[in-house]
Amino acid sequence: MFNRDFWSEIFMALRRNKLRTILTGFAISWGIFMLIILLSAGNGLKNGVNSNFADRINNTYTIWSSSTELPYKGHKAGRYIMLNNKDIQLLESLYQVEEVSPVLSKGGTLVFGEKSRNVNMEGVKPIFKNIEGIKIVEGRFINENDMKNKLKVVVIDKNTSEELMRVSGETSMIGKTVYINDLSFIVVGVSKGMAFGEMGQCFAPYSTIRALYNVNEYYQLTFTTKGLDTKEENEVFAKELKKKIATLHEFSPDDQRGVWIESQMINSLETMKIFNTINIFIWIIGIAMLISGVVGVSNIMRITVKERTNEIGIRKALGAKPRSILLSIVMESLVITTIFGYIGMICGVGVMEIVNSIMEASGAGTNAEMGMSVFVNPTVDISIVISATLVLIVSGVAAGFAPAWNSVKVKPIEAMNYR
Amino acid sequence: MIKLENINKTYFGAQPLHVLKGINLNVEEGELVSIMGASGSGKSTLLNIIGILDNYDDGDYYLAGKLVKNLSENQAAEFRNKLIGFIFQSFNLIPFKTALENVALPLFYQGVNRKKRNMMAMEYLERFGLKNWADHYPNELSGGQKQRVSIARALVTSPKLILADEPTGALDSKTSAEVMQILREVNATGITMVVVTHERGIANLTRKIVHLKDGLIESIEENDPDKMDFTKEIK
Repeated sequence: MFNRDFWSEIFMALRRNKLRTILTGFAISWGIFMLIILLSAGNGLKNGVNSNFADRINNTYTIWSSSTELPYKGHKAGRYIMLNNKDIQLLESLYQVEEVSPVLSKGGTLVFGEKSRNVNMEGVKPIFKNIEGIKIVEGRFINENDMKNKLKVVVIDKNTSEELMRVSGETSMIGKTVYINDLSFIVVGVSKGMAFGEMGQCFAPYSTIRALYNVNEYYQLTFTTKGLDTKEENEVFAKELKKKIATLHEFSPDDQRGVWIESQMINSLETMKIFNTINIFIWIIGIAMLISGVVGVSNIMRITVKERTNEIGIRKALGAKPRSILLSIVMESLVITTIFGYIGMICGVGVMEIVNSIMEASGAGTNAEMGMSVFVNPTVDISIVISATLVLIVSGVAAGFAPAWNSVKVKPIEAMNYR
Repeated sequence: MIKLENINKTYFGAQPLHVLKGINLNVEEGELVSIMGASGSGKSTLLNIIGILDNYDDGDYYLAGKLVKNLSENQAAEFRNKLIGFIFQSFNLIPFKTALENVALPLFYQGVNRKKRNMMAMEYLERFGLKNWADHYPNELSGGQKQRVSIARALVTSPKLILADEPTGALDSKTSAEVMQILREVNATGITMVVVTHERGIANLTRKIVHLKDGLIESIEENDPDKMDFTKEIK
């Protein structure tokens, strides 16, 4: 059945009806092309925002010290609540808390050769990298060994690193010794981190800073939790925690301020909600697009079959069996949709790959100053593309089948005399 | 070859039209029969029923000894392909196929391979003087050439029966004479032939003239075409 004659019949029919073939094909190519562009753009947006949270874990909390807003038990409003070791003990006593990583902040001056720069040094535990979603561009972050041996190592930010390299002519800062407040530190890593104007950002092991400077108060405490998965659980936990800290520091539990408790889980659930909405929106548009493609294909197939009614009549008079007519029409639409669907697919993927490579080369889509990305890797999962193309092919065939079946049912003389 | 017993056919439209009101007709093998009648007399309908291009409501139709009634599409296709060759007034060639491909098409549906198919088609085109036109498309051919292509197509499967519906209706008188001459020669090889026409001149070239009027056979006239000089104008 599917021999050379069969295929040559089909390709001849397509060649002989060039305009029709091209119009049908264009509808299909365009549908698939636009679908890919759309899905890719959506993915690019999602990837862009997600890339900012790479390596960041969600089960984390940050408590910021702040000043009170309400007077309470003889304390006046506006009192500044500094976090201390009692807060750490409190956190460590809670079963929901996994690991506490206090942030020891120490301002200072970093000196390397001729160059000096104001930095804010933070003593942190290795887990801090995942809590804050810090990105390392070179070298590594603080590790357990640094912690255990209280090593004087430091992770500096990219701006500082570039500035130091520019002045000193070094090609890398890794392994170099820098002086912070006259104490020598070895640079082990460079973080992408956010730079605050001229102020550099350094990370050193918590244990080292603790040993060097007798700090017992904290602006910031971070910790990871376990077993808090939903927004509700986290809200309840945050509220309870605030109450306990309020008792500890004697400020009103109803105080909106006093300390800030921020749940990464709640934030990320909110973000995910936004992305799910965007995603649903994109899919609705995509499906609408696919439907319009399917309608286009069915219409053209209907017209095709109508146009060919005479020919079908002649073929029947000459002894064509219904199956052969049906098969040739269906295969014709299959061939058109497959070839042009594939072309659209290649074009769409190609265009998005070009956009992607241009963006990567030029660094477009990322906000360099903030170290934030908004549009990254705008490509689409190939399996989605293929299934969309398959849907179009199947519907094209189904669309061709109904009118083909009708024309096969018509008596040959009626088909031949059809005008 | 053809045996029609009390064939009835009604077209059910807004106004039901009783086209054939009981046709009884026998056509023996090798006969050359014409069916004459005014337009609306049912002559084309009768031919379509004989060719299994249309169905009938009542009666029995035997073709080559087999009852043709309530056939499946596949059986009908088989009958048409193996037993019958058609020649139409409007030629009914497929416009995007060359003369050769048009002639070869019935063989394609018989499953004959391409090489043999084209060889046989070429043979028939040659027989009708169209060898040099084999690669031309129908719109590049004159009316007479088109009709000769369609005769070649009708003959290529070596059918037992040729049905021609106004084969000269779209042709001028000279070409008509040529076409009728070809048909007579084909008939002379033993192929049964039924020609529908409203032209007396054409009917005069057949041995048996069936006069149809208002869906009934009015008379069957025996005729000797050899008395006619078909080289003269026949209109």
